[in-house]
Amino acid sequence: MSMPAQVPQIASPSSSAKKPLYEGSTQYKNWRFSPEKLTRIRASLNAAAVSVIRNTFEADEPGSSSNVLFLTADEEHLLVKLYISKISQLCGHFRFPEEVEATAVSYMKRFYLKNTVMDWHPKNVMLTALFLATKTTNNPISLETYTSHIPKTIPSDVLDLEFLVAQSLGFEFAVWHAHRALWGIWLDLQSLPDTPPDQSQDIYDTATMHVRASRLTDAELIYSPSQIALACMSLASPAFASQWAGSKIPSLADTLQPTIETIKSLITQAGHPPDVESVRTVDRRLKLCKNPEKVVGSKAYLAKKAEEERKAEEKRSRKADEIRKAMENGDPFGDELSWQEKEEKIKEIVDEDDND
Amino acid sequence: MANRANTGGWLQGKTVRKGGIASTNQHTARSNTPQVQSTSSTIFGGGVKDASGRTSEFFSMDDVCPVCKSDRYLNPKLRLLVSSCYHKMCESCIDRLFTLGPAPCPICTKVLRKLAFTPQTFEDLGVEKEVAIRRRMAKEFNKRREDFPDLRQYNDYLEEVEDITFNLINDIDVSQTEARIAAYRAENSALIELNIQREEQYAQALREQEEAERRDREQRALEARREEEEEREELERGHRDIINRLETSDKDAKKVIAKSRADALKRTSARSASNATATQSTSYAQLLRSRAAQSTTVPDVPHVPLQDDWYAYDDMFEMRGIYEDRVSEVVRKDREGVMRAGGYRVEDAWERALRLAVAGLDVRPLGGMDAQAEITSGDVVMASA
Repeated sequence: MSMPAQVPQIASPSSSAKKPLYEGSTQYKNWRFSPEKLTRIRASLNAAAVSVIRNTFEADEPGSSSNVLFLTADEEHLLVKLYISKISQLCGHFRFPEEVEATAVSYMKRFYLKNTVMDWHPKNVMLTALFLATKTTNNPISLETYTSHIPKTIPSDVLDLEFLVAQSLGFEFAVWHAHRALWGIWLDLQSLPDTPPDQSQDIYDTATMHVRASRLTDAELIYSPSQIALACMSLASPAFASQWAGSKIPSLADTLQPTIETIKSLITQAGHPPDVESVRTVDRRLKLCKNPEKVVGSKAYLAKKAEEERKAEEKRSRKADEIRKAMENGDPFGDELSWQEKEEKIKEIVDEDDND
Repeated sequence: MANRANTGGWLQGKTVRKGGIASTNQHTARSNTPQVQSTSSTIFGGGVKDASGRTSEFFSMDDVCPVCKSDRYLNPKLRLLVSSCYHKMCESCIDRLFTLGPAPCPICTKVLRKLAFTPQTFEDLGVEKEVAIRRRMAKEFNKRREDFPDLRQYNDYLEEVEDITFNLINDIDVSQTEARIAAYRAENSALIELNIQREEQYAQALREQEEAERRDREQRALEARREEEEEREELERGHRDIINRLETSDKDAKKVIAKSRADALKRTSARSASNATATQSTSYAQLLRSRAAQSTTVPDVPHVPLQDDWYAYDDMFEMRGIYEDRVSEVVRKDREGVMRAGGYRVEDAWERALRLAVAGLDVRPLGGMDAQAEITSGDVVMASA
């Protein structure tokens, strides 16, 4: 159900050449990066988070941040990857369709391009992303059933982050998946003029395994789903893949080939879950360098809460004051404003909006 | 008083059925919703006839005669009729005022006659009036597209007709408009007459054809019955034949039966061959009818719900009717269609997958730092929320 959502109702009539459907998707527009860009985003997110947390530590207890070993961007990514591999375990447990799993994985990856592990622990984000994916792919499950099957989880763990996750995704829930493209390639192989004689189901199953492995890599953030699917097909059966690609775009086969090769090597190198032991040490360190503002009960957390509370209270009392004044003047909607007062008022409102 | 009997029984409130519900169970049916009722016998022109040829009459529980102020509560048999100046009056008022000849309308003082009252079909008298005027206009302004050399003139004519109709409906320059109509009538009397005749001819032809078809159907039904009868007799005769032969001949019983069966089969095949020629004649009537339908209907252009500028890779793949596919096997094997109940079609799923397989194949991956949407660390704002 992801495709229709991405087709705008009104296309601009001015563009003479027709625009390919995939290029109208949010996946193409907002979630396509170069590998270098991905690295830089992660690095800058990590740096920003570290500086914020360091400041918080210092504010809490001066000098306490000097011996804290913060996570690096790579370590963060490792942790995210581990929890991505956990998604497929959970999906197997709940017997969710492949689409749910793939969507949840995409949400996870996209979320951590806008947030850092030190702010939001991937375990909770993973649960929320999966729950959100069941809803956006039309495979709903009740929250109680969902949490009761996962140990040490209560509904609020899932729901608290839901809006944050959705917001980080930019509310762009539609994802184009490689496994569907692979299915399409598999079907389309049957329409080739000289249909390969031995179309064994094993090849499809192997290719599907490679698609699943590709979910542990950054492939979907760099390449189009059809390219990933073709690469997986090529890993399973190079002959079928080249025959099919040749029938589709004979002229482009040369330019496509390097891309496919890159994806193939990416999948074979990075397409496996990380070593649990190495992740465990990272996770242990994460406990020490988590953003204290996000840890319920810590001093920084309480300070932030108090600050928020104070701001809200201030706003409320100011509003109440205004209303009371207006009531005293007789007209509950206040007096007619003079021209200058109006100007001032408008400025005040605009400022207030900016603060929000 | 002799003509009173001629004009029908409604003046005595006898023959005309009106508001069957209202007169039988007054108290239960007392609702304020307006109703349209059909009266079986009406002596009036006017009103609008429904498909069965009966005039449906507007009827409401709130009816009040504007002249005598009598309402349905006082007089359950109250029936309001509409005058030619489009004012309502109850039957008893009409009787009282107009029995002694033409008299002025008590509301607008236009001189009215008793016979010029018509039953009301529409709740809104404006509609009633418009329908009557349009019916009158259609009688005289009956030129067709063929009577004009080009579309432009035909459209001008239609506009003029609409203009006159509008004037009459809204009482604008009535005398002048009437003069225009009279002038038109005088000018085109021959053509009007001709078109009326054409219309009648066409209606006549249609009636005749329908009649012929009906006869044809009856004939065929009769034929079918007769055939059935014959077949039954044939079967009986066959049975008797077999028994006779078995009685008289000393051949093997199985052979005798097989022989008479073969004979019977031969006879039935001969009969069905003669039937085939009979069906030929019916298609002629159907052809005529379809031709008549063609002349009136506008060709139906297929509706395209979504027209946009998106390229959906339609030239990159071609759907086959059926695929060998293990993924969708369960759905396709589902005989009762439980899985397809929501309108799921495997073909659609296939098409979507095929489309996705070729979508963006030629998209080059981004390289370097020249990415489009600059995602900055400013987004951490969200995280601190």
